[in-house]
Amino acid sequence: MNKKSGFLVFGVLFGFALSRVGASEYDLIVGMFTGQDYTLVGVMVTAIIVGALGMQVLKKFAQPVKSGEPLKISYKELNKWSIPGGLIFGLGWGISGACPGTVLAQIGEGKIFGLFTFAGMICGTYIYARLKENNSEL
Amino acid sequence: MFILRSIFVEPWPFWAGGVIIGLLVPLLYYYFNTALGVSTGYGNLVKIFLPAKNLQWIKTKYVETFSWRVYFIIGIILGGLLSSILSGNLGITTEMGRFTAIAQWPGVLNAVFFFAGGILLGLGARIAGGCTSGHSIHGIANLHISSILATIFFIIGGIIAANIVRSLFLGGAW
Repeated sequence: MNKKSGFLVFGVLFGFALSRVGASEYDLIVGMFTGQDYTLVGVMVTAIIVGALGMQVLKKFAQPVKSGEPLKISYKELNKWSIPGGLIFGLGWGISGACPGTVLAQIGEGKIFGLFTFAGMICGTYIYARLKENNSEL
Repeated sequence: MFILRSIFVEPWPFWAGGVIIGLLVPLLYYYFNTALGVSTGYGNLVKIFLPAKNLQWIKTKYVETFSWRVYFIIGIILGGLLSSILSGNLGITTEMGRFTAIAQWPGVLNAVFFFAGGILLGLGARIAGGCTSGHSIHGIANLHISSILATIFFIIGGIIAANIVRSLFLGGAW
């Protein structure tokens, strides 16, 4: 299985799961921020616990990884940009009722306004690229 | 048949989705030595859809335009499509939960509203270095401090925006 077809398959699984638990529903995402529905908090906490346990199993029993390379965990350095970036992202999350993954599931389900969130995300990423031209530490 | 129906037709309990999404973290490392993450792939989409080939960040970080990240994005869309086909909910809809049900805005305004939210998502994800999948799930599962910090501010932003929208446009209660 090459990387592209592999990610296509895992993407289908991810999108299917997001859609099945209601992560692509505006009401559930916004409801988690207004304290009306904690379904997705349950999804995320479960995912974090399962992911953390799975990583421990992987480190103990499945090294090196399938290709024979040593496991290389991607790490983002702690920096001040996590705070403004996090806040901006969070505002977008609460407005659109979607995040970069769930908006894709929304589009697959046929939610028209998800396409606008998606287009906005591409433009937001473009704005970042433009800002980064003049501010390399961003 | 009951089990097939539970998997492919009915909505899942929260924990089932959590288990599948959580397992993606070690599985993607095992098969591809790669971190779970979606938002970085939007840089590929910038390169595909916008005239950005001369921007330094795009040039250096997105050498291969149609990388595996694009395939992951396409996969997630197909996953949502498959889910709605199997559950019999497939159909193009202009509904967006309580927002479109209560606010009753004209379509153009709705489009602007969601587009604006998307701009904040795209910009914020890149400044913070990740999104819900890369930071909140992959990063916290690996106990990365930067991811925990980013996620705290994701949630603060979400609470602020959702409650402002709720009180300004959705009558405060629903």
